[in-house]
Amino acid sequence: MSENLEQSFVVQLQANQNIIHKICRLYTAGEDAHKDLFQEITIQLWKAYPKFRGDSKFSTWTYRVALNTAITLYRKTKRTISTVEYESHQHFVKDVDYNYEEEEQIKLMYKAVYQLNDIEKALVFMYLEDKDYQEIAETLGISEVNARVKMNRIKGKLKKILNP
Amino acid sequence: MKELDLLKKDWKKNENSFEQISEKDIYKMIHKKSSSIVRWILIISILEVLLWTFSNLFINTDDVLKRMNHPEIVLILEYLTYINYIIVLIFIFVFYKNYRTISTTVATKSLMGAILKTRKTVQYYVWYNLGMIIVSTILSFFVGFVYNPDMAFLREKLAANGKTMLVSAGILILIILGFFGIFWCFYRLLYGTLLRRLYANYKELKKIDI
Repeated sequence: MSENLEQSFVVQLQANQNIIHKICRLYTAGEDAHKDLFQEITIQLWKAYPKFRGDSKFSTWTYRVALNTAITLYRKTKRTISTVEYESHQHFVKDVDYNYEEEEQIKLMYKAVYQLNDIEKALVFMYLEDKDYQEIAETLGISEVNARVKMNRIKGKLKKILNP
Repeated sequence: MKELDLLKKDWKKNENSFEQISEKDIYKMIHKKSSSIVRWILIISILEVLLWTFSNLFINTDDVLKRMNHPEIVLILEYLTYINYIIVLIFIFVFYKNYRTISTTVATKSLMGAILKTRKTVQYYVWYNLGMIIVSTILSFFVGFVYNPDMAFLREKLAANGKTMLVSAGILILIILGFFGIFWCFYRLLYGTLLRRLYANYKELKKIDI
């Protein structure tokens, strides 16, 4: 592959890398696994890049390939998160007007999300990213109506985890 | 859901808190080898195809057949060999075609479907080979036994002694069991380890659309 292609890919990926970081955050526990998945997603993006024609935005395209890699292609199985590992994810939470109760609730919420399965996590991820149901449905390959139904079920499931 | 909105707020707030990876490191990454399950499935599939194709070639009865003076059997086996070559070629073509459809840019469900379809092609090929091995082992055993002049003494011995018959049948069964063992190991490795999560996720996705 040509140098130019490599150059343009690296520049675009560098600018859009937070999408990948966010997916890694949801699907892995610990720094090593995060890096490992990040690398695999980067490789898969690069492999798919020659077919990227720019008819969609680089970021939209990245969402799809990155999620597909996390859900389908990534091989590491040790992905369940323990409380200790979970805490390490929180090192960056530094809020000035610290609201203890709210902070506690957010923590519990993250913990609940980590208990969801891969597909449910994907829906939550796209929900958090403000994707509409049409895009969620298209990315996963399900119908839009069913994506809505599933998201409502996930909300119910999260509530149940929070208030057993 | 109130908590989910709270989470979204926090999620957005921390959006830019990740340690950034430099362009130089991304360059390094894209030259590394993938460790995705597709790569592993490809490696295992090639190993399987080589193993089963060669194991079929190894069970070579030509020399025995030549000494038997039964040209009709030789001819039938020759045809079978040609049919086998055609099947190998068809398999390689179908496998390649399916493998090419695996793409990370399609919907998750389609990607999973493509991977499973590719894998199934190999599975069918392995079943075919396993069937061929069993049939040809049993056939060559009996053909050799009945027609091979070298076996005349064994036939006489067998007529006199039932124990030899049992030992021969035992060896035959052991050979077949050995092949089944290899088959089972590959099967466990693939479906137990590599594809378990993919299957679970595929089922989950399909369930949503029911």
